[in-house]
Amino acid sequence: MEHVLEFQHISKYFPGVKALDDVSFKAYSGEVLAFLGENGAGKSTLLKTLNGDYQPTSGKYILDGQEKHFKTPHEAIEEGISIIYQERQILLELSVAENIYLGRMPLGRFGIIDTTKANVMASKIIEDFGLPIKPETKVKDLSIAYQQMVEIMKAYSRDNLKVIAFDEPTASLSDSEIEALFKIIRKLKSEGKIIIYVSHRMEEIEEITDKVAIFKDGHYVDTVRTGECPQSEMIRMMVGRDLGDIYNNLDRDKTIGDVLLEVRNVSSDYVKPNSFVLRKGEVLGFSGLVGAGRTELMRAIIGADKMKTGEVILEGKKTEIHSPHDAMKQGIVLVPEDRKLQGIISNFSVADNINISLLDQHSDRFGFVNEKEEKKTAEEGIRKFSIKTPSPDKKIVELSGGNQQKAIVARWLSTDPKVLILDEPTKGIDVGAKSEFYNMICKFAKQGIGVILISSELPEVIGLSDRIIVMKGRQISGEISRQEASETNLLSLAMIGKVEKS
Amino acid sequence: MKKLKINGDKLVLVAAIVAVFILFTTLNSNYLSLTNIINILIAASLVGLVAIGHTYLIIAGQNDLSPGSLAAFSGVLAATLVSYGVPFVLTCLITIVAGMLVGLCNAFMVNKIKLEAFIATLVSQSVIRGFAYILCGGKPVAIADPTFLLLGKLRILNIPLSVWIMLLCIVVFGIVLAKTKFGRSIYAIGGSKEAARLAGLNPQQIIRRSFLMMGALCAVGGIIFSARMNSGQPAANVNLEFDAITAVILGGVSFAGGVGDMGGTFLGIILIQAFNTGLTMVNVPSFWQYVAKGGLLLFALATDYVRKQRREKELLELSMKNL
Repeated sequence: MEHVLEFQHISKYFPGVKALDDVSFKAYSGEVLAFLGENGAGKSTLLKTLNGDYQPTSGKYILDGQEKHFKTPHEAIEEGISIIYQERQILLELSVAENIYLGRMPLGRFGIIDTTKANVMASKIIEDFGLPIKPETKVKDLSIAYQQMVEIMKAYSRDNLKVIAFDEPTASLSDSEIEALFKIIRKLKSEGKIIIYVSHRMEEIEEITDKVAIFKDGHYVDTVRTGECPQSEMIRMMVGRDLGDIYNNLDRDKTIGDVLLEVRNVSSDYVKPNSFVLRKGEVLGFSGLVGAGRTELMRAIIGADKMKTGEVILEGKKTEIHSPHDAMKQGIVLVPEDRKLQGIISNFSVADNINISLLDQHSDRFGFVNEKEEKKTAEEGIRKFSIKTPSPDKKIVELSGGNQQKAIVARWLSTDPKVLILDEPTKGIDVGAKSEFYNMICKFAKQGIGVILISSELPEVIGLSDRIIVMKGRQISGEISRQEASETNLLSLAMIGKVEKS
Repeated sequence: MKKLKINGDKLVLVAAIVAVFILFTTLNSNYLSLTNIINILIAASLVGLVAIGHTYLIIAGQNDLSPGSLAAFSGVLAATLVSYGVPFVLTCLITIVAGMLVGLCNAFMVNKIKLEAFIATLVSQSVIRGFAYILCGGKPVAIADPTFLLLGKLRILNIPLSVWIMLLCIVVFGIVLAKTKFGRSIYAIGGSKEAARLAGLNPQQIIRRSFLMMGALCAVGGIIFSARMNSGQPAANVNLEFDAITAVILGGVSFAGGVGDMGGTFLGIILIQAFNTGLTMVNVPSFWQYVAKGGLLLFALATDYVRKQRREKELLELSMKNL
């Protein structure tokens, strides 16, 4: 039987973020449709609104002409829509058959669960799938790949399965396991299921999918036929405009001064001893894989985590930093990566968020806050950083992510810092706001501030930094000048700890 | 930051207070007499002092279950000291310092042993109650000192001193909460503790100060209560924190932290005392009063939940406008 799943004007809003914005397209049975897009483009959110994990803010789903609305993923499964996630959603202590028929085990006389019957039913499916496993085996004794197969069989065991979506299914599979998975996907396809396949791996998309739906910043861009559209074209569609020009047009005309900050053997519980220097007016990039210890090193420097060894020397003087408060007094400030939990004070207005670090300067000796001064600082910050807000008294969470981030930067710049540490400052903000940030960073450096830029986006860190330090395994693995920097040698420092000589 | 403004929540509170007055006046016409209204205020004075402390603590994302024990302990301590001939003023000072020490211990458990405030203060609730009994051997300590007794009797403009003290504290601590660096910091750490720390605030210090304040308020409350009772009673003030927390939540402070103000707390105090006094006046058996009070707390928590849902919904709508 033919099926059509129609996405009609689906939008999903979170405070300050349009995760999905008016997404409309159709998926047909007998086709494998890939969802392609950068992190945060909305692919997973779209799947979650489809199966009732999230409720769409507006829009509807039409399956075979009928409008579907699910309050829970369970309801979706009952109606034949299943999602196979990266994380296994099965019960390890139960057998294969028990997992497949979880919650609807066949019952024998007196309503007692009939395990034998379940095993017989399960072994039929296992045979169908051509897998060398037994229905009685406990799932915990299976490999990850087979555990995933059990999940697929669980979805497949429902007679009414129409839509099956895979969210990054191959993340932890070996090549031969991926091949086995593809065999099953082809089988599902031949049986007329609608198959959605979310992945970042272009070669897999080339191999298994028929069409690719491309997403960018919560928008649906287009659907293309897999064989007919070159990969470079798809990537261009998902990234949107080319960022190259943005970097080329930055005003980088400045003089780099004396050593401003010297970090000697600084370590904490989370990072090994590291040393580096930062000069006045310099943008020092920190590159490396997620978890390489970049954030942790900075947290140790500003006293957010306890410094175990080492010292921080600012303008030739040894500092005593035991808390972010001390660091701020010395002129070292950090804009954290996790804006939601560590950056914004969520119950505060934009103005109060900008002013929070200036409470000492803004209050008299009895502790009374000078609200006029606060208003001045807030208005200045909003103007200088062109924060888009209807008024300074708006709650900060009402703003878009980029504008929230600008308010945090405004907060720190108002304290007149010497060293500004930016941890993934452009994560999750749109391209327009990104280029504003890049200009800001260059301006700060020109004013003589030492800027440390942690970024996982290679073009960003290469495009902005005067010098780049790469970390691997919680310590610095190398340093590259702006002239030598390329994505290849940054990545090889980050992944194997050295630059391959070619 | 927090401007005193009349919003929907406050109007609902005022309406609830009016409704309670109408209800109990219909059931007992003496309810709306001046004497009774003053009685309500007297009953509200001790709860009020504690609720001020709870306003700070709960906005800061903390809590305190020890005030009932601490108030009783403070009354016993003050009565004992006076009975040994310690001058009244010095007695008050010592008792307040003792209360602050208890606050310091609570803060220590929260900040350094990393206990949830709820659990930490459950510990001190029991320990302090124990000390109250130990200090007096389980028997109430009679007060003979005339100055001390005057504290319970003195009236200014026909309103007892204890009520004036409560009102004064509401105003002073209300202003501190709304207008000072300390007040602002309370809201900040209640909203996002880690973000506030990274922004250069010192959450541990702010929490410590809030508990110190609560300790002092409980001590003052305990002294006034014992003066009114003419004795320090180790078994007194059980469930005091229950009434205070109910009042604070009714007043619009959220258990989620970061939200609320002193004006709301004041209305909450009046509402809960009007309710409690009314139950007694219409002869609701005291066992059933517990049930009714539980119902009121449930109502308070439910409104807290509804308000939170509404805030989130409004926020989502507003944030979309700015995209």
